Order: sequence, then C-alpha cells, then structure tokens
Amino acid sequence: MEALQPARDTPGNDADVLLRVQDLHVSYDDAEVLRGVSMEIRRGDFACVIGPNGAGKSTLMKAIAGLAPISRGRVESRARQVGYVPQQLPIDPALPLTVSEFLSLRLSKSRAWLGAASKSGRMQITAQLAEIGAEHLLDRRLGRLSGGEFQRVLIAYALLNKPDLLLLDEPLTGVDMRGGLSFDGLLHHLHDHRRIAILMVSHDLHLVEHLATVVFCVNRNVCLSGPPKEVLKPENLAKAYGHHSGMVLDQKGSAFIPLGSIRK
Amino acid sequence: MSFHQIFVEFLELPQMQRAFLIAVIAGPVAGLLGAFITSRRMSFFSDAIAHAAMTGVALGFTLRLADDTRGPAMQGTLVIFCVAIALVMAWLFERTTLHTDTVIAFSYAGSVALGVVLISRLRGYRVLEGALFGDILAASWADVWTITALAVVTLGFLFLNLRALTLMVVQEDLARLEGFRTRRLNYFFVVLVAVVVALLLRQLGALLISGLVVVPAASARVVAGTFRRMLLLSAVFGLTGAATGVFSSYHLDTPTGPTIVLADVALLTACLLFACVTRPRPPLARQTPGQSRGKDW
Repeated sequence: MEALQPARDTPGNDADVLLRVQDLHVSYDDAEVLRGVSMEIRRGDFACVIGPNGAGKSTLMKAIAGLAPISRGRVESRARQVGYVPQQLPIDPALPLTVSEFLSLRLSKSRAWLGAASKSGRMQITAQLAEIGAEHLLDRRLGRLSGGEFQRVLIAYALLNKPDLLLLDEPLTGVDMRGGLSFDGLLHHLHDHRRIAILMVSHDLHLVEHLATVVFCVNRNVCLSGPPKEVLKPENLAKAYGHHSGMVLDQKGSAFIPLGSIRK
Repeated sequence: MSFHQIFVEFLELPQMQRAFLIAVIAGPVAGLLGAFITSRRMSFFSDAIAHAAMTGVALGFTLRLADDTRGPAMQGTLVIFCVAIALVMAWLFERTTLHTDTVIAFSYAGSVALGVVLISRLRGYRVLEGALFGDILAASWADVWTITALAVVTLGFLFLNLRALTLMVVQEDLARLEGFRTRRLNYFFVVLVAVVVALLLRQLGALLISGLVVVPAASARVVAGTFRRMLLLSAVFGLTGAATGVFSSYHLDTPTGPTIVLADVALLTACLLFACVTRPRPPLARQTPGQSRGKDW
C-alpha cells in the first residue's frame, strides 16, 4: 500500500535519528509478516504503532529488539541502550521468583548470578520500582502479580539499564494500580522527564492521540505515518485500512478500531 | 544399640561406603538440576530418557559391545544412546508443531518397544532387570569417580549459566535480549540431563531416576519463598533424602535405590503438610499474567 502521508513533513537533523528501519522484511515459516517496513525514530519522539491484529506490529517490535529473524532490510540503532517491554508473558504462578530477584537478573552483569543483588543493586531496584509507583511489589512473587502490576515490573526491568529508547509492545493501558501513577502519567513522565524516546504498539487510539508525537499505521508495511492529528483522521484511517474496516467514530469524532475487527 | 552401631557401622561395609558416597554426591546435584527441569516443565523429559535408556542397554547387548550392564562399554553405549534420543526430542520440540508431551510420549513408547524387541531376541527379559531397577550396592570405585566427575561438570554448567537459565525459566526472549544464546543453551541442557540420566541408570534404574531428580525439587518449590531458596533447598533435600535412604535401607534391610526415593517422597509429604499448615490456600481463580490476551504478531 502506498504511503498516504510522508513520514515527516519536515526532514530533521540526521544526528537526531535514534532508530532507522529500512525496507524490513520478516518471514515466519514462509509467511511474510512484514514487507518492506521503513521508519525513523528521533530523539524526543513518542512514536506509536497502530494497526489491525495480525498486521505484524509485535513482529516489528521484536525485529527492532533483535528477536525476530530479518530476511531483508536493516535496523540501524544509535541508541546506547534499548529497553524492550514484551506483550504479557505467561508466567508459572507457582514459580517462587520474586520481583527483586527478577530485577537483579537484569542488573547482574556476570553469567553466574547468585540469586540476589548487592546492597547498592537492591537500592537501585527499589528506586526504580519507586519511580514507577511499584515499590510495594519488591518482595512479591512474579507469578502472583496482576496483569497491570506485572506490566510495571517489566517496565522497571527495561528501565534498569537506563535506555534511551523504550519499546513497549501493547501495554495494558487500561490497568492502573491503586495509589500509583496512572499508566499514561507514567509514560508521560518517562518521555518528558527521563527524556526517553518511546516506540509503543497500542490499540488505544485515545492514548495514542493524547501522547504520540508521531504515529505509524502498520499493516505488513507502514501504510500511513505522520503526526497523530493527521494519521488519526477517520478518512485517512479508512483509506489505510479499507472502507469495510469496521472502524467506528466516537462522540468526539476520533476514529476507533475495535480489536480484531480488521484483518487484511 | 549404641550411636556407633546405628550411625557408623553401616559405613564399615565397602559396598555401603560406595553407595553412600554416590548417593550424597548425586542426590544434591540431581536435586539442583531437577529445580531447573521442573521449572521448565521437563519432568517427563528426564523420565522418557531414562526409559529410552533401556533400549541403550539392549543395543549394547545386541551389538555385543558389552557382556554385562556395568562395563565401561555399556556405559558409553548408554550415554551415546541417551544423548541421541534427547537431541532428537529437542529437535522435534523445536522444528515441529507437535506438542512437547506428544513428542515425549512417542519417543518414550517407541524406544521402550524397540528395547524390549531387541532383548527378547537375545537372552530374555532378565537382563533388563538391572536397567529397570539399578543396584547402587553393586557400584565400584570407578562408578564413584564417574559420578564425582559428573557432579563437577553439572555444578559447573549450572553455576556458569545460572543467570541465563533463570531468565529462560521466565521467558527465553528476556535471556536473548541479554545476549545469551538460548538455542545452544537449550541443547546443552538436554544433553546434560541425558548424560546424568545415563550415568545414574545403573545405580537407580530407569523407573526410579525421576524420583531422584524431580522429587527434591518439587519439595523445595512447595516451601521456598524465593528462587534462590528453592535452588538451595533442592540440593539440601536431595542430600537429605539420599543419605537417609542409604542409612534406612541398611537398617530396614530394604533395596537401597527405592528406599532413597521413598525418603525423598516422605520429605515431599512433610513439605506439603508444612505448606498446608503455614500458608493460606492460593486463590484458585486468579488469572495468570499473560493469559488474559491472545498472542498477536
């Protein structure tokens, strides 16, 4: 599909480019999941990837993180550290691995992890959890956390290495913890205060509209990209997804795509 | 009876000394390895390799590589056969859409069937007895040294890969993000399990090896509050069960291998009771993180 909008209206300084994806192709078992995806993420960007289920969004995130086999094209990263928060992981609820132990696995640099962080490591872990409003989870078991709590722990895990680019694969945006920062508040904090460039897959178009500085609509390739006000226009989305996409408009006139309604 | 008669006398017999040494070396190491086997839901994998090992014994006889079940040639045949079957299973897990339990079931049934056919054409089923039940009291000093070397290699592997193996229990992608080569590690892990099973076969037998590997780790998982404590307790329970088993078998005049496994099961029962008394029941309806959404790519 042809791009309906150029990726950027004004080309910025090349030195600002943190991540460049060029003509990326990824195949699994002869099925081509991504066909020629190209995109650029710059420092200070809050980029959101939207698109129907099965469009290859998660594969794109995995390919950028180095976890998917690239059959053609390239991913060029200038980020010092990339943090990757996967989609929800199935965890054995009976596994006696605590949040503190899990996070110490990230901090440890040696192959032989001894099951606990040093005193300074533990302080770092506590501070990281406190930053995202989850310090009370420190000694809880990973398998006993709720979906939203586990998501925060995964974000803490990704943040421990002080990334300058954070990849978030469909976070549970609706789930917030009691007394904690709201999820969009947390993302806002990471982007604006920690100055982390964020690339996030999301189905929540309200959140995308509210937070994103640039939006990529992906359906095997990037079919549309640009500032959210442009990309999220109902007519643009309709063109990008097809007119029978099942897309609906809410009261404010924003486009909304029900989960699973669109398949191409 | 004096303290000496109860606790020391049994160690004056050379075959008891060797059995005790093998048990207290293999017990904790198998327990520690078992902590990872159970966390990775591979309990039946080690069981399948143990049963398939009987075919290794039959093959040894058929090819006239060995005249008895305890010679080094038979040891070699067993290790090669167990490693081969483990690699085939690991390859099938990776490359086919078959479920893990299906692969284990047909590898297990197929290799046991082949073993029985081979043995029936040779000397009848009696030679299988040693492979099925093992005999730790018949162990030689060479066996003690072999098990010691095996323990050193296993502990070394687990220690040097502890961080990667623990991350892989959570999710392989997390280990890959840290730069660990998970595919290679998976293959090393199954080879190690196969070698441990092959070398313990003569001591404990195909039917009981799983007990030594899985039961102490299960006990530890029931009572441990952290992953580190689970690893430590797996080794401690493995050691306690093995030592108690050898000691009890002498005084009760029971076969040593099965008594070790019974001691492990008794420990597991105690741990389960302890957990029931001290901890409230976990809520049954709690949804596991990650099960709320479908996989999307």
